[in-house]
Amino acid sequence: MSKQASNEPAIVMEHVSKNFKVLNRREGLSGSIKDLFSRDYKTLQAVSDVSLTVGRGEIIGYLGPNGAGKSTTIKMITGVLEPSEGKIMVNGVVPYQNRTRNSEQIGVVFGQRSQLWWSLPLIESFNLLRDIYLVEEKEYKDMLELYRSLVDLEPILHKPVRQMSLGQRTLSDILAAFLHNPAIVFLDEPTIGLDVAMKSKIRDLILGLNAQKKTTVILTTHDMGDVDALCKRVVIIDKGKKIYDNDMDHLKTFFGSYRTLRMRLDGEDEWTERVIDENKTDVMKEIEKTQKEHKIKDIQVQEISTEEIIKKIYEG
Amino acid sequence: MNLKRFAALTKAGIQESLQYRLGTAVTLFSNLIYLALVYFLWKAIYASSGKDVVRGMTFEDTMIYLILATALFNFLEQFIVWDMSRSIQSGKIILDLLKPMKYRIYTFWSYSGAHVVQFFLTFTPTFIIVCLLTGGAIHIGVNLLFFVLSTVLALVVNFNIEMLVATLCLYTESTWGINIVKETIVLLLSGVSIPLAFFPETIRGIVSILPFRAVYDIPLTILLQKNGADQLSGLLPMLGMQLCWVVILTIAGNLFFNHAVRKITVNGG
Amino acid sequence: MNEKNNLTNQMPIHKRGLKFYASIYKKIIIQDIKSKMSYRADFIISTVGMVMTNLAGFLTFMILFHNFPTINGWDYHHMLFLYGFSLVALTPVQCFFDNNWNLRFQVQSGDFIKYCFRPINVFFYFISEVFDVKGLGQLAFGLGTLGYAWHKIGLPVTALNIGKTIVFLITASLFMIAIMNFAAATCFWIIGSGYVMVIMFRFKDFARYPASIFSGIFKIIFTFIIPIAFVAYYPSLVLLTPDKVPVLSWLSPLFGVLFFYLSYRFWMLGVRKYDFTGS
Repeated sequence: MSKQASNEPAIVMEHVSKNFKVLNRREGLSGSIKDLFSRDYKTLQAVSDVSLTVGRGEIIGYLGPNGAGKSTTIKMITGVLEPSEGKIMVNGVVPYQNRTRNSEQIGVVFGQRSQLWWSLPLIESFNLLRDIYLVEEKEYKDMLELYRSLVDLEPILHKPVRQMSLGQRTLSDILAAFLHNPAIVFLDEPTIGLDVAMKSKIRDLILGLNAQKKTTVILTTHDMGDVDALCKRVVIIDKGKKIYDNDMDHLKTFFGSYRTLRMRLDGEDEWTERVIDENKTDVMKEIEKTQKEHKIKDIQVQEISTEEIIKKIYEG
Repeated sequence: MNLKRFAALTKAGIQESLQYRLGTAVTLFSNLIYLALVYFLWKAIYASSGKDVVRGMTFEDTMIYLILATALFNFLEQFIVWDMSRSIQSGKIILDLLKPMKYRIYTFWSYSGAHVVQFFLTFTPTFIIVCLLTGGAIHIGVNLLFFVLSTVLALVVNFNIEMLVATLCLYTESTWGINIVKETIVLLLSGVSIPLAFFPETIRGIVSILPFRAVYDIPLTILLQKNGADQLSGLLPMLGMQLCWVVILTIAGNLFFNHAVRKITVNGG
Repeated sequence: MNEKNNLTNQMPIHKRGLKFYASIYKKIIIQDIKSKMSYRADFIISTVGMVMTNLAGFLTFMILFHNFPTINGWDYHHMLFLYGFSLVALTPVQCFFDNNWNLRFQVQSGDFIKYCFRPINVFFYFISEVFDVKGLGQLAFGLGTLGYAWHKIGLPVTALNIGKTIVFLITASLFMIAIMNFAAATCFWIIGSGYVMVIMFRFKDFARYPASIFSGIFKIIFTFIIPIAFVAYYPSLVLLTPDKVPVLSWLSPLFGVLFFYLSYRFWMLGVRKYDFTGS
């Protein structure tokens, strides 16, 4: 393996595309019977011409609506899938050509699918992972020490995974993914289904590990709270194409002229929300317009939330 | 009861089963090979015995019985125990319990679509082939009608046995263990592996009062018109026995299931 | 930034050989047995299930012999020998390869993807996850039957015979494992192929009858395509008829290894296919 320059990025994707052949299912009972005899396939471009560079130690949000091509991209970077076109380098390794080598330098977490041994106490899962990844004893001990400084490990360390709560399980899975000190960790919906307290605990843990170990983190999520808390940069993909790739701050400036106008009308408990582009519409005019028809009890004008920005981008 | 709802569940089941085109083909093919095994084994057995008729069964009788039993087995085979244990472990069962339909009834009608497909895709072709090959060994007449009636009863009995065992999953995670016990008992005592006619008298006496016979042996005996099933006097007790088991097992199954559900709701799953 | 980079560059290229896998497997099994011990009820129910299955199988066997004293020239004790031999040969597939039964559920739900991200062999990782102690009950039952039949037939107890028994039992096991690997891996291509495993597992019940009962095309099918003739019949002939052992019996260890290898390749091909389509 050749030495790399110190500013070599963690992940480089150049003009990557991925095509699938999928079955066209017909509708209804008569459709199912027709499918028995003849099938109709079409080619689907899950990812098309995506180029992306991720630096070391970055935490990026990789966002997009369901079916946008997020998981296909992740599968290509992890070496599970081979791209139809384009080149991928992960920390100096071509993933699909060196799957084993590549998997030594990555960690993967799925929010709802534990990858730990279901019936074993957590510490035994850790020990097995140490052996599988051939982690040096000293590094292993240091890592456990680091974990102890970041989270309260004792209540879960000797508990079988099957007996853990969802939050404890997610926490364990994240710790397990960082155990071999990988260069890159993929987090897929890490806080799904968790309560607010647990969410913030998980986010703190990710930030802590990233700061200590300079691990690159690729986060895919639908929870904008995760993005706000963790990411400095977001990449948005839709229908297989990259449609946005820039800083979070830029995202806000870009949509800086947007305001969320919240009004509570007389006789209603709920807030009515409207996103307004100040370059096009005047907020005061909007309020006056509403006032002609309703009595307004309360008014708030807020900066647009990330959630709404992303929604606007998806909608195009 | 709301027939439209049942029809919708059946229809959805049919659609789902039809999507598994290759699965169905593979099932049919595996069955053919299995039947070849059965054929060779029994051919060798009869050849070694030097007799044409053993226990009132000729080689041809035995083959027809075992082939149709296997076809029936496919048709009745359900994975309720596994499905239920999975939905318990994933917590999905709570959603199913909340459906505006009794869980047992919902489950029964969800599987009914697969039964309809299996009946036409596996049982009927097997039956026609056996009819053609044996050239008139199976009497075609009013017995077919009774056979269909008896098969429907068998289906309900089988469903009830499955559900009773599946309910055990609410108490234990040992799905494999309880499933294998059920499968072993049903396979042996219902006559799928060896026709009940070959069982020694004492064991036959016990088997004849157990519900498992009602699943495979009775429908086949009616179809093949053995043991006096060609007379109404022989036929009615068999159907009566099936009906009895339907009633007993349905009541027992309901009581047991309700008890089990109450237990998990109290303990919070 | 620099520290991380250096670390990455110096990362040694790990070789994971047989010794590595053996040590990992040993550790997983020990841990697994430990955790199984804490689920006593499950263990007891499974063991009862296993005993029931064996009793039922034995009962089927007895009922047959109750009606038909010989089958294709094989008498009761020789048949019992085959029966015991097949039970022992089935033990490894039940103890070590039981996770194959979960494969289709994991593939369908998409959970299987988790096995694809580790730097170890996917087949090993998946199979090693479950070790099934209850297969040991069957082993005891099979050994008992085999020993009884051995005694009744009057086979001499020599080192050579025992050595042969061990080699050819392993051979027979390899065939059974391979059959189940093939059957399980069909789920990568075919949705709803669960029945294939069920029926293949029922095929094993026919392994205990002499394969000489087959003729024509089926003789070839059951010898070379679905090799149940190798699960007990051919390997055990080495002991039962030492004067006229068929060539196929002597070749069976070679075939066993080959067949196992092919089943492994087929399984791994399925994983590639899964990667391409799995959600």
